[in-house]
Amino acid sequence: MDAEMGVAQRLAEEQRAISIAEFFEKNKHMLGFDSGARALVTAVKEAVDNALDAAEEAEILPDIYVDIQDNGDYYTLIVEDNGPGITKEQVPKIFGKMLYGSRFHARRQARGQQGIGISAAVLYAQLTSGKPARITSKPKGFEEAQYFELIIDTDENEPDIKAEKAAEWDRPHGTRIELDMEANLRARTRLHDYIKQTAVVNPHARIELREPKLDESLKFERVTDQLPAKTKEIRPHPHGVELGTLIKMLEATDSYSLGGFMREEFARVGRKTADTVLDEFRDRHFGRELSWTPPGKHEDLDIAAALTAAVTNKGKEATATFVEYVMDAVADHDRVSHVDLERIINNAADRIEEETDRRFGSTVRSNAIAAAWSEVTGASTGDDRIPSELYRVIDNATSKRKSDRVKHGFATRLAEQIEAADRPKHRFTHKELLDLVDAAADATEEYDDATYGETARENVIEALWVNMRRVVDDPPKVRTVANDRDMAAAFLEAMRSTDVMAPPTDCLAPITAELVEEGLKKEFEAEYYGAVTRDASVHGGDPFVVEAGVAYGGELEVESQIDLQRFANRVPLVYQRGACAITDVVRSIDWRNYNLDQSGGSGMPSGPMVLIVHVASTNVPFTSESKDAVANIPAIEHEIELAVREVARGVKRHISQRRSLRQRREKEDVIARVLPEIATKVSSLLKRDRPDIEATLARIMNNVHVSRSTKEDGDTTAVSVVVHNYDSQNAAIEVTEIVDMEPVVSDGASVTEMDDEWYVRWTPTVGPGDTATLTYELPTGATTELAVSGVPAEKLTIDRS
Amino acid sequence: MSDASDTKGSLLGLAEEFYEQFDRGEIPRMTIPTRTKSNIEYDEARRVWVYGDRTSTRSANSVRGARKLLRASYAIDFLVNQLDEDRSSTLRELYYLSESWDVEEAQFTDQDESNELIEDLEIVSGATREDFHMRPEESGATLIGPLEILEQTRRGEREIHCQADVGEGGYQIPSNPKSVEFIDHDADFVLCVETGGMRDRLVENGFDEDYNVIVVHLKGQPARATRRITKRLGEDLGLPVTVFTDGDPWSYRIFASVAYGSIKSAHLSEYLATPDAQFIGIRPQDIVEYDLPTDPLSDSDINALENELEDPRFQDEFWTEQIEQQLEIEQKAEQQALAARGLDFVTDTYLPVRLEEMDII
Repeated sequence: MDAEMGVAQRLAEEQRAISIAEFFEKNKHMLGFDSGARALVTAVKEAVDNALDAAEEAEILPDIYVDIQDNGDYYTLIVEDNGPGITKEQVPKIFGKMLYGSRFHARRQARGQQGIGISAAVLYAQLTSGKPARITSKPKGFEEAQYFELIIDTDENEPDIKAEKAAEWDRPHGTRIELDMEANLRARTRLHDYIKQTAVVNPHARIELREPKLDESLKFERVTDQLPAKTKEIRPHPHGVELGTLIKMLEATDSYSLGGFMREEFARVGRKTADTVLDEFRDRHFGRELSWTPPGKHEDLDIAAALTAAVTNKGKEATATFVEYVMDAVADHDRVSHVDLERIINNAADRIEEETDRRFGSTVRSNAIAAAWSEVTGASTGDDRIPSELYRVIDNATSKRKSDRVKHGFATRLAEQIEAADRPKHRFTHKELLDLVDAAADATEEYDDATYGETARENVIEALWVNMRRVVDDPPKVRTVANDRDMAAAFLEAMRSTDVMAPPTDCLAPITAELVEEGLKKEFEAEYYGAVTRDASVHGGDPFVVEAGVAYGGELEVESQIDLQRFANRVPLVYQRGACAITDVVRSIDWRNYNLDQSGGSGMPSGPMVLIVHVASTNVPFTSESKDAVANIPAIEHEIELAVREVARGVKRHISQRRSLRQRREKEDVIARVLPEIATKVSSLLKRDRPDIEATLARIMNNVHVSRSTKEDGDTTAVSVVVHNYDSQNAAIEVTEIVDMEPVVSDGASVTEMDDEWYVRWTPTVGPGDTATLTYELPTGATTELAVSGVPAEKLTIDRS
Repeated sequence: MSDASDTKGSLLGLAEEFYEQFDRGEIPRMTIPTRTKSNIEYDEARRVWVYGDRTSTRSANSVRGARKLLRASYAIDFLVNQLDEDRSSTLRELYYLSESWDVEEAQFTDQDESNELIEDLEIVSGATREDFHMRPEESGATLIGPLEILEQTRRGEREIHCQADVGEGGYQIPSNPKSVEFIDHDADFVLCVETGGMRDRLVENGFDEDYNVIVVHLKGQPARATRRITKRLGEDLGLPVTVFTDGDPWSYRIFASVAYGSIKSAHLSEYLATPDAQFIGIRPQDIVEYDLPTDPLSDSDINALENELEDPRFQDEFWTEQIEQQLEIEQKAEQQALAARGLDFVTDTYLPVRLEEMDII
């Protein structure tokens, strides 16, 4: 995330200085345009991503056509969609200025995030072929399409429409972009991968690809009419922005105060959280104020006297009451700082003003505050109060081994540092305090021949800091912070150090396990499919969801490695597989536990398997701007692992079931062939009739054996169906006799008539080793058909003799 | 042991058992003693090693078992026909013949399998394979010595003196020794020799004549017919039986099968084993005493010796001592190593000394 937005920020800054063309030339490798082969894939990808986003936003089922033509000198890329179309006014927003995406700080799950993609493709095309981008668009409800020819003015970084006319277009609505560019098809496999994988994770889209080496276009049909849930846009989370974004947000906001700004622009920030952030910000921006114990009786300092002297012309009585109020409040404090005195004196003054007609104006108040503060600090008498105050703090915070002399020396030098800092209110940030203590400790080491190590210093700083008082000054206004990088950095730090509720997750639209499975079924002929969508989690300020899907066996070929397909926000990642967190996680799993082959228990497993991993987030952390690989973020890796392991368990179950079923079927095949031969042989040896071996067979297979016999008695025939369960588990079976004459039923069987056929049905549960006998009567001559269900075919032996 | 109709009856009895099992809805099966080393035990009364109580079941419940029973029923069919027609065949012929059976599943996959099946049938029917008219491929083994016999051949009766009427090669023991009847003899004892080279040396040196001994050539692990004849020479003629082999673990097993019966045919021990047979050598002790030329023991030799220490047939003082000594010296020697002391050493010195020690002469 940092890498990505960091680049955006740098790009934004750089582009002021250099032309956009120059900039592109410098950065094209990061944008995925470093070779003709790759540029083509990237351009297709950017155009298709855009088309999908646009269609989904307008709640249209996407229908996308990609056509690549080789024109000899250059390639022409045509991407057509059935999206909502764009009006001339919207053109700049979409194709124009690089990096001026409309919502670069808005948080939602979308394919494109920074507004670099399609404009970079347009620019690449323009720089390599010299030709403008040709755009045809028909907004919904319009009769005619509009045709534009557009280039990006590389000096101004503005779109420049070169030609414009009305045009005929048979699509009801949509956009078609044509780009001529230097390219080649050496990355054809990647291109196909991209298109095919896009189809897998976008089962609601129909995609068609035509390129010079294809005889017939590749078509990927839509399998669902269900559009992805519309993603809610959420505001950024305080923990999910970094400095560049924050400054931009500060510049753009309508809010005046920082508190308002936070509540307005960020998710999960209410008044309380904003206040906490502001307090943290005050600490960092203004610092805190050192506090001291009020002077005691034995000292020559007297706050009351100083106050009495400072308050003039207020009458003796009011003055005395005022002093009393102040002194009472001071007595409640173990220690007082300048800000404490301000509050105490202001409170006392307010009270007097309420109780009497006397006005205690700001002059009186500030005189009183200054007088009281002089007493507290000892400045009024020139008394060296601070060193002894500091000594007490230091003494408490320092180990017993330090001599009094050293501690006194340190206290004195620290007092000198505080004095020299010339902060009348003794106000310091944590950082400043640290510098003071360091300087004093260094001096102590130098002159007092003592050591004052890191731990001792930290203890003192901590002891002082907890006794420092947070100030109540109003924080700077938004505009001030926006213009001061250091201030903004302090503000950001304040936001990060404040606990904020995790961001909401309804801004994410996972594909859903069901549709992942559908997508896999559509593209791969396999035996087993499985998919999972994990619950949303949060990394930094961004929620994310991991999904995984597998297809196993069937027509899939056993390659040396399984087919791992990576996706971020529904976009296939086709490059930099080795640098991706998804790959890392898959390789770290011991797949032998899941019945797959893997040499050495790590690395890519092998087997007939497609594994899909999809990371959806408002801000997928990529390793680079070209968005090819997910960065190794532990929280995301953890979720990927859980998702992959979950689908892997399904594969494991499938493989072992298949194995035991196969063995069973083999056994059944052999035994079913061999046993009758034994029976034939022994009966011919003994010159007897061939024995009935069905019961033996059923017993061997642990099967459920169903045998049917009839006994004719004149007009009626008694039917008896005997079910014997040779298995070690209960068999809940359904036995149905379909007869064409009306049966006579007695023993709990149900009869349903339908089109002159009677369905006689029993649903007995037969315990292991038990037998159930089902009987009924029917007219002699009736045709019957016996059907048994509830037992797998492999485990059922029906003896219809 | 039994005549052809008894044998046929017991084979059909087995087929009938399968039939009845089908009829009762049971799984066809055949129970036989487990034929492993751990399941043989010493029968005090008969002084041979026989199978213990452990049994294995060949049941149609598994793919392997079903195939075995199918092959058994085909083999029974074949044997019954063979008995009806009074023909005979070899074990190898049975194996090849199975290829002509109409059901592919009934055909044997290798000869071990058909051999094993015949052994199974012997056990279950209480007959021997000779009763089934099954022969091993080669009769081969010979004997020579002052013995007169009458052999029923398909070409009529033959009276043979096994010294006077035969060449240096000796009298060939027929595959079914039932056809041999002893008429007369002048022998003092029987000497079974493992290797052909040593047998020929004894004959060349006239040992059989000088000591009135019937020399039986074992030809390695002795065939059943050889063992059966040896037993009868000992039992019917009351002759002491001695065994002379190489000095290595495999040769000790040859002695054990002569004296106590083999693991695979322990069901026939009573019929084949000669419990009174005595071991002459080569003993590990001889290797040391005569300073014989030797070869070092290989890993498999050592392994075999260690197994023999566990083998119930070798559980006595003599064998324990000899085997332990051999494991200690880590050497083995062939019978012909005695030639290092001269070609006549074996007949002039080694055997007379040993036989005297053993109270045979």
